[in-house]
Amino acid sequence: MEDPVVQLEAVDAAYEGERIATLHGVTIRLTRGERVAVIGPNGAGKTTLLEVVNGLLPATAGQVTVFGRSVQREGHWLRARIAYMAQELFFDPATPFLVKDVVTAAVYGRIGWLRWPSRADRDRIQAALSTVGIEDLARRPIGRLSGGQQRKVLLARALAQNARLLLLDEPTANLDPDAKLDVARIVRDVEKELEATALVVSHEGGPLLEDAERLIHFDDGRITHDGPMRALRERLLAMEV
Amino acid sequence: MFGLPWHIVLPTLLGSLLVGILCGLMGALVVRMKLSSLGFAMSHAAFAGAALGLMLSVADPLWLAIAFSVATAAVLGPLADLSRMNADTVVGAFFPLTMALGLIFINKAPSAGIGSGALSLLWGSVLGITMDQVVTLMTILGAALLVLLAFGKELLALLLDRKLAEASGIRTRPVSYAVLFLVAVVVAVSMRVTGGLLIYAMMILPASAAFQWVYDIKKIFLLAPALGVISALAGFLVSLAADLPIGSSIAVSSAALFLVSTILSPKRRRVT
Repeated sequence: MEDPVVQLEAVDAAYEGERIATLHGVTIRLTRGERVAVIGPNGAGKTTLLEVVNGLLPATAGQVTVFGRSVQREGHWLRARIAYMAQELFFDPATPFLVKDVVTAAVYGRIGWLRWPSRADRDRIQAALSTVGIEDLARRPIGRLSGGQQRKVLLARALAQNARLLLLDEPTANLDPDAKLDVARIVRDVEKELEATALVVSHEGGPLLEDAERLIHFDDGRITHDGPMRALRERLLAMEV
Repeated sequence: MFGLPWHIVLPTLLGSLLVGILCGLMGALVVRMKLSSLGFAMSHAAFAGAALGLMLSVADPLWLAIAFSVATAAVLGPLADLSRMNADTVVGAFFPLTMALGLIFINKAPSAGIGSGALSLLWGSVLGITMDQVVTLMTILGAALLVLLAFGKELLALLLDRKLAEASGIRTRPVSYAVLFLVAVVVAVSMRVTGGLLIYAMMILPASAAFQWVYDIKKIFLLAPALGVISALAGFLVSLAADLPIGSSIAVSSAALFLVSTILSPKRRRVT
C-alpha cells in the first residue's frame, strides 16, 4: 500500500479558550496526487481540518502525520513544504509589497536562517509567475490587484514553494464567475505540475468540486461521508426518498 | 556654525543624523507591524529607567534606561501572545505604569540637579551630546543593520502577513521578539538626543511618511531613514537659526514632512 501523504488518526481539535472541540475523532488518509473536496455547513470544521493538517492548530488528541512526519514535532519543516491558501487572506490596497516579493517570500521558510534565495530559487519563482500567467504583474503592488489576481499570486507561491500538498480554503470564494473558472484552471495546472495532493475546502459548488475524485462531508466536526462524489449524491437522494 | 564651536556642533549634528537613521529603520518595522504605540511605551519605560538613575545618582542613567526599555520588550511580546490581545492594547495598558514609575523616581530623586536632569530626560539635550555617545549610536546602528540583514527575509515575511509567514514555515515569534528588543535599545539610546517625549515622533513620522510614497517594502527601508535624516537635519538647522530647542524642532520637521507626504502621496490618487 502506498505511503499516505496525509494521515489523521482519531484527531480531536479545539481552538484555544473553546470548551467544545471543533473536530471529533477525525480519521483521514490522503494519497499522492489525490484531489479531495471538503464540504459542509459553516462551522462544521472544514477550515479547522486544514489548520490541523499544517499544524497551525495543534490536535488535542490523536495523531497527524504529513509525508510520514509528525506535524506536532516537525510543524515548521512541514509548513515550509505545504502550500496553504487561507480563506480570509486578502491584501489591502496599502500593502507595501510587490507581487514578485510576495511570491518570493513563499520560499523563505524552506531555505532556513541566514540564507537568501539561490539562483535556482529565483528561477523557480520566475517560472511560477509564468505558469500562473501573472508575469506582467510581477512589479505591481499586491494590494492593487483584484481578488482573482491575488488568488493567482497565492497559487504562484505554491509553485515557488514546490509544495506537494495544497491546502486550499475556499479558493474561489468572493470571485466573479470568470475569475472562478480561471482560478480553478490554474489550481488544476498547479496540481499537475507539482504532482500534488490537494485538500480543497468549499461550501459552494463549481469546477473545483466537480473535478474532485473524493468528497468528504463534515457536520458538527465529524465526518459524515468520505467517498466518491457519486456515492454521496446517491446517498442524499436515497435520504430524500 | 551659528556662533557655536565645531566641537559642539559636530557631535550634535552626527548624533541627530544617526538618530534619524535609527528611528527611521525601526519606525518602518513598527508602523508596518501596527505597533506604533510601541515607541511610546518603550520611551516611557526608558524614561522610568533614566529617572531611577537620577534617583540613585548613577554616573550614566543610559544603562538603566536601556535595561527598563529592554525589560519592557521582554514582557510585552510574551504578554501579548499569552493574553491573545493585540500587542497595541497590551502596550496601551503598560505605558501608564512606566510613566507613573518615572514620575515617582523623579519625585524621590535628590533635589540637586533634578531640574535639568528631568527636563533633559523629557526633552533631550542634543547640545550636550559627546563624541563617545556618537560612537555608541554608531555601534547600535551597526548592530541594527546586522540584525536586519541577518533576519531580513524572516522580517519581510512577517511584515507581509504574520499568519502567512507562519503557514510557510517561518518561526515568527523569535523574529517579532527580536524586533521588540531592537526597538527597545534604539529608543533608550536615542532618548538622550530627542528626549523621552519626542522619540515617538522620530520613530513614527518619517516612517509613516515613507509609506506614503512607495509600495516596495525594501525601498521603504531606504526611504524611512533618509526621511529621518532630512527631518533631523532640518530640525537641527531651524533650531540653530531660530534659537529653538533641537529635539522639538526635529519633531516639528518630522511632522511637517509627514503632512506634506500625506498630501502629495501618489497612493491617494485614484487608479484610472
